[in-house]
Amino acid sequence: MARQDRIKRRMIRQVVRDNLETLEGARPRRRGRRLRTVLTVARVLFLVALPAALFTSSYVLSTVAAEWRDDVWQDGSGNVSPSVRAPVAFSEMEPLPPMDSNQSRVTPQPIDPSVLPLGLHTVVLDPGHGGENEGTVSPTGLVEKEVTLDIAERVRGLLESHSYKVVMTRHRDVDLSLKQRAELANDARGDIFVSIHVNWIENREVRGVETFFLGATEDPYLEALAARENQNSGYSLADFRDILEQVYAGVRQEESRQLAGAVQQALYDSLDAVNSTVRNRGVKSAPFGVLTHTEMPAILAEVACVSNDVEARLLMTPIYRQYLAEAIVEGIQIYARSLGEPNHLEG
Amino acid sequence: MSEATPEQESDRVLNLGVDLGTSRSSVSASNGVRQAVESYVGWPLDMVARKVLKRDVLVGREAIDNRLMLDLHRPLERGLIKEGSDKDVLAVRELLKHLVSLALAGADRESLVVQAVVGVPAEALRVNKQQLRSALKGIVDSLMIVSEPFAVAYGLESLVNALIIDIGAGTADFCVMHGRYPLEEDQRTLPIAGDHVDEQLYRLITSKYPDAKISLHMAREWKERFSFMGAPTEKVWVVAPVQGRPTEFDATEPMRAACESLLPAVKETMLDLISRVQPEYQDRVRNNVILSGGSGLIRGFGLALQEALEEVGGGRVRVVADPLHVGADGGLALAMDAPPSEWDRLAA
Ligand SMILES: Nc1ncnc2c1ncn2[C@@H]1O[C@H](COP(=O)(O)OP(=O)(O)O)[C@@H](O)[C@H]1O
Ligand SMILES: [Mg+2]
Ligand SMILES: [Zn+2]
Repeated sequence: MARQDRIKRRMIRQVVRDNLETLEGARPRRRGRRLRTVLTVARVLFLVALPAALFTSSYVLSTVAAEWRDDVWQDGSGNVSPSVRAPVAFSEMEPLPPMDSNQSRVTPQPIDPSVLPLGLHTVVLDPGHGGENEGTVSPTGLVEKEVTLDIAERVRGLLESHSYKVVMTRHRDVDLSLKQRAELANDARGDIFVSIHVNWIENREVRGVETFFLGATEDPYLEALAARENQNSGYSLADFRDILEQVYAGVRQEESRQLAGAVQQALYDSLDAVNSTVRNRGVKSAPFGVLTHTEMPAILAEVACVSNDVEARLLMTPIYRQYLAEAIVEGIQIYARSLGEPNHLEG
Repeated sequence: MSEATPEQESDRVLNLGVDLGTSRSSVSASNGVRQAVESYVGWPLDMVARKVLKRDVLVGREAIDNRLMLDLHRPLERGLIKEGSDKDVLAVRELLKHLVSLALAGADRESLVVQAVVGVPAEALRVNKQQLRSALKGIVDSLMIVSEPFAVAYGLESLVNALIIDIGAGTADFCVMHGRYPLEEDQRTLPIAGDHVDEQLYRLITSKYPDAKISLHMAREWKERFSFMGAPTEKVWVVAPVQGRPTEFDATEPMRAACESLLPAVKETMLDLISRVQPEYQDRVRNNVILSGGSGLIRGFGLALQEALEEVGGGRVRVVADPLHVGADGGLALAMDAPPSEWDRLAA
């Protein structure tokens, strides 16, 4: 039994350490990360401001920068219009010293926790379907429009607790056209747009998550899926074609691809732990109507396949929807942090 | 390592093992007390109710019995403290207070040093660690929070090459023991367990007998008496009112289907966790699967899992006969084994 006793002693030490870590809290570690994040903002502004100036993301970045250097950037009136803000931000950033010296100038101490790590302030959440437009219905009676609203509400709660501003395209069971949703997002000046859906796949064995950003597709499966999600879009086919052409290449698409990648990875990683045979169906581009008219990086996540019995059953439970929500938030945060990385948009 | 060290034998120290479950909670104490309560906490809704009940807060069966006068909470409902609910945080606190007072059995709290190991659903520990720690502050002198399946493993001395499957009301917790305090990768939580069976049974019976008036509560009671998986050994008859008249129904098939609805996900997770164990140890883990928790008592469950193991070379599943106390007992063993020097660092 000597071996067993040794194991027990070791475990007790591990339990105690785990509890001590909780007692001491994660404060020191977190502070380290904040500091790094703030420092990288400086670099990012140089790298991104120029190409991104045409698009929302530059506004996003400059807005954040404005928050933590408020004193410097505000004009006398106290409010700064976006159009003047970006150039001011840029010129103000120039005299900043390189990242490793003279930190005190870049880093107001202590950092106000309400300042977000980086350029994401406003997240627009779009619970798929609503009203007459029920979306997919599972054999167990799960209705897509209800599931998407529930998950979106959970995401909202989590994001708000991380001090993001959240705008929902709908809070209730109402039918909005895809065009209305996009317009709502644009009016709210969202920094990113996340549309939440659940999937139905003919092969009932298949389960998993996939995340989309706007683009063309040759895949007949994706065409069918897009056609289904695009019902009642409020757009004509011609609109689609025009819009697609306008936004095709460009930063917004690349930003969207990165956001989709982060959300997809977080969804897959976290679901793998609870739903072990979940398939990573990957990041894809497809012509979803709701993604066309939004002016910010936009994605559509199909977070589960209700055509699969196991997944439908999991989806019936609040904890699983909570998992999904946490994963989406995790993905958004990963994306937000990536905005601070020097090679962002280079890859 | 179960003998207590001399310092701990001093009668000033009271060691506790506590299991805070989603549906039932229990405490085992070094003074021999062993108690369980239902995990409900309620506060009188108004002055009138408070006067009638003569109490500021009610816990367990008493809370259920007086639910109409109470703001009733089941704080760890789905294995999590509900997001943003202060009342649920308070309820967890009241639950622990109540269990400690049961363990004191009239002894003077002030004269004792109380050290508690508290097991919580693995998911709550993952998500609400900090929150739990502060919710439980100041009730005992020293506090160690562990995940419930770990407490079960410790109590059963299954610390190496074992797979614990603890299926309670809200969640099914899986934990592979490798001789270390389980890391996140050693654990899984499925959000389907006993409550899910109740819902399925309710749904299946209602759709088979639309005239029968049944409640979720009735479904749970029937389940706890007649649950089974696999071939039925006898028919399951239940009684429910139809237009006010008690009527007998054959619930055999609904019962089987409801119970078996847990199987696919549990099997799959079990096999997946085993497949991630280093190949040379898989055999030992397969032969050391432990099924615990109230829902592990579903007849035929252990056998069904053992059958699933046949597909990967066979194994053995043991069912814990007394799941109500095993977690708390494990916590108590851990509390007694931890040296005073470690306890000193964990002031609550
Ligand atoms: N004999 C039984 N057969 C089937 N289910 C049972 C039986 N006894 C208890 N249960 C179920 O077990 C669950 C409670 O298990 P428990 O391990 O105490 O849960 P928790 O740890 O989540 O509080 C409930 O869903 C209850 O209905
Ligand atoms: Mg339990
Ligand atoms: Zn949809």
